[in-house]
Amino acid sequence: MLNRILAVLLVAGALWSCGAEDAQLPILGQKTTDENGKVIEHTIPDFSFVNQYGDTITQNLFDNKIYVSDFFFTSCPTICPVMKSQMIRVYDHFKNNEQVMILSHSIDPYHDSVAVLKDYADALGIVGDKWQFVTGDQDAIYDIGQNAYLVTAAEDTVAAEETGGFIHSGAFILVDKKKRVRGLYDGTLEDQVSQLIRDIELLLKEEDE
Amino acid sequence: MNKLLLVISIACMGVSCTSADELEYEQYLVNGEAIYKAECANCHGQKGEGLRNLYPALKGNGALENSDKVICSIKNGISADKAKSSQAMPPNAKLFDLDVAQLVTYLNKEFGSNKDKITDKQVKMALDNCRD
Repeated sequence: MLNRILAVLLVAGALWSCGAEDAQLPILGQKTTDENGKVIEHTIPDFSFVNQYGDTITQNLFDNKIYVSDFFFTSCPTICPVMKSQMIRVYDHFKNNEQVMILSHSIDPYHDSVAVLKDYADALGIVGDKWQFVTGDQDAIYDIGQNAYLVTAAEDTVAAEETGGFIHSGAFILVDKKKRVRGLYDGTLEDQVSQLIRDIELLLKEEDE
Repeated sequence: MNKLLLVISIACMGVSCTSADELEYEQYLVNGEAIYKAECANCHGQKGEGLRNLYPALKGNGALENSDKVICSIKNGISADKAKSSQAMPPNAKLFDLDVAQLVTYLNKEFGSNKDKITDKQVKMALDNCRD
């Protein structure tokens, strides 16, 4: 009798663990079909921006990396400081994991020069290549925000005094090693960012398989 | 009997006076906290903890000792040079004198050591004398 119970428990346990391994993050964005009928997933297209060290960076820097992307500007008086304090949690959590990076785009490239971005990163205690603060062509940044990362980034012509002149989503966008968007999180909310950290852990396991 | 009544009524007046002052102080703190959360906490943090070297912590910040300077900074902002930071503090011109009075009363009580109520008259006077 005891053996039977043990056997049932073992089987149940095995099934349970299978179930847990099946948990996967969704693949977001519009799928398209090519002329051969092959389904093509939404991926982040190539880009070229300049980082806080004055280096031009492209998508190559993120080859074989999982990264979190967001949009901000250094003089932002509204949600950016909260977003940055939450992104620091992600940075600190994966500090020693070279597979995880962060890409913060400035949506105010006229003010946010390389020198301003460097000062900002220094003040936050960010060193090395893990967290890239980038500036570049304003239209290219707005375009990649809306069309690739599925979020809003634009100049604010209605309530500029309140927002610092720009409106943008507070989203953190999780991108996998195949450049696919795997999650959108509200970067102003602590519990959503905790979820993001758990999801990155999950993605790291998925990618290891 | 009359004397006793007089003493009691004076005592009552004394108590109610103190209470009215205390009540107003409490009201300043409540309103000041609401203004802090709406206008300041994004950068300086919900608990005045700041954000690393980007935005200074207010908790225990010596700058709070000089309320007049704090008042000028809130209303007129601080340039990046003066803030000794890459970040300027933006001005907040839309706040009324009473808003600033309530805010500074809250800042002093919560993050500093001064437990006095700042009045809107004090704010006006400080603003008239801002250096730059």
